[in-house]
Amino acid sequence: MSRWRPTTSLVRACLLALGGLAGGVVLGQEVLVVLAAPFVLLAAMGLVARPGQVPRVEARIDHHRLHEGQGTTSRLVADDLTGVEHVTRVASGTAHVVTSPAYGAAGMLVADGLPTIDFGPRRWGRRAIGAERLALTSGWAGWRWGPVDMPEHGLTVLPQTAPYDSRAEVPQPDGLVGRHRSRRIGSGTEFEGIRHFTTGDRLKRITWPVSLRTGELHVITTRAEQDAGVWLVVDGLRDIGVSGGIDGAASTLDLTVRAAAALAEHHIRTGDRVGLLVVAGDGARVARGSGPRHHHRLQGTLARVRTDARSIAPERLDLGGGTGSVVYVLSPMLFTPLVAATAGLQRSGATVVVIDTLGERDEAADRLALRSLADRIQKIERDDRLRRLAELGTPVVPWRGPGTLDTVLSQLARRARVPKVRA
Amino acid sequence: MGVPLHVQVLRALLFVLPVGALALALPEVPHWFVVGAVVVTSALWARSPDTVAGAVSLVLVACWWAAHGVVDWRVLVVAVLLLAAHVVATVLSYGPPTLALDPRLARLWSRRALLALVPAPIAWFAVRGLDPTLAPSWVWLAAGVLVVAMLATTSLLTQRAPE
Repeated sequence: MSRWRPTTSLVRACLLALGGLAGGVVLGQEVLVVLAAPFVLLAAMGLVARPGQVPRVEARIDHHRLHEGQGTTSRLVADDLTGVEHVTRVASGTAHVVTSPAYGAAGMLVADGLPTIDFGPRRWGRRAIGAERLALTSGWAGWRWGPVDMPEHGLTVLPQTAPYDSRAEVPQPDGLVGRHRSRRIGSGTEFEGIRHFTTGDRLKRITWPVSLRTGELHVITTRAEQDAGVWLVVDGLRDIGVSGGIDGAASTLDLTVRAAAALAEHHIRTGDRVGLLVVAGDGARVARGSGPRHHHRLQGTLARVRTDARSIAPERLDLGGGTGSVVYVLSPMLFTPLVAATAGLQRSGATVVVIDTLGERDEAADRLALRSLADRIQKIERDDRLRRLAELGTPVVPWRGPGTLDTVLSQLARRARVPKVRA
Repeated sequence: MGVPLHVQVLRALLFVLPVGALALALPEVPHWFVVGAVVVTSALWARSPDTVAGAVSLVLVACWWAAHGVVDWRVLVVAVLLLAAHVVATVLSYGPPTLALDPRLARLWSRRALLALVPAPIAWFAVRGLDPTLAPSWVWLAAGVLVVAMLATTSLLTQRAPE
């Protein structure tokens, strides 16, 4: 614990005041008395302004869970600041977090309140904010407590849900609740047709006008309302490009995570069950579920995605028996094993859509530079992998926000309705 | 990097004020050692306002004027310049260079500086108007006791408090 120490300012004032007076009296130097006179008052006031107690101060932040672009405030809580005139706080810099005031340095007279520092995370992920140094100064800048180091706070920054909406139906709805129209006849409310009454039909389904007109019992049939199972496979193996946060350029991982967050929000809003598989060094798997609580869980898992240079692509994607689901693979598709695993998923019967999250990349000015050549070779290989995936029947669409999947989902839904002959 | 313009101006003042206080002696040129030491310590002070270099700079200027032994109007100006330098350094020492100056804090210290200046002209008039040879001997004894008492009080107040 820190204690009150005399400031350099007080030491300087005491030195000039006492030295000047002593020199004037002992040595007879009258000029020293004149020059020391102003410092006598400053030294005396600074000396007597020493606070009697050791303050207890802690910093708290208003929020521990935010979205990119939102902000929180760090506030000081102090028990007794008697005798304290000024408070200075300096927060340490954190990557992808902006502070206000700039550079995280804030100071204020206690009479005007305690200084606050605003933190604004600019990129999703786990951030540690609030590590700061705090100093209290007594009246007349005589005594200083600190600077003391304050502990940091963990902040979970959820990915910004890019505006996304889709009016296309999910091709293979298989649940029993939700907004998607089933291909099966069931106990919904949407009219499907009228047919003859058969044994087992419920009496309340009988349509009396048609039955009286035809002289035979007829019943109304309706379509069941079903939800869809959706899997989001997030490629966190590598992060290509430099992330400029929410205001700047997006890296591949930024695009992947933000697109996954947007898709998760959209499908949960429409009542679907959404699962998540993170392919990374410390991968994660969230079973399918629905509702706001599940949505929070998905967002939290996405915020924890981290790349690891040592991580390797998996041989297969284990979705835990989600063959009837639609699987969105969000990836820049830079690894052959991941492409093979995606193709394996398609062969197992799942409806797979690859969402390309490489994004637009600027080409280097010097096309003959080694890096530029390597990038071009990698792009050629990637295009070849995507072409082969498309030949297997897996659509590949670049992420473009709202409506990205409308066309491809409509085509998949039409394809799913076509009768199939299995050998 | 990141230092506000007004803070840079105040730091420049920290260099200029002690050097200016010494330059008031012109056309008489102080010894080259004094000039060099004041310039160097003032530059160090401007770089780090919370260091002891400032005290060295102010003491050097004060000692040179004391050794010069002339109690004219320039001594009052030197007192103002030294006090201004001390107050500027105090205001700057509240935080790191990136800390913007709080206008309320600046106003508070301006008022304090004006208040601290009050004893200077009184002492100046006293020094010029009173003849020390006519003062009774007990005056010097009392002044000496007062200074010793002040030293003892300062020592008592600044000693380390029990943890």
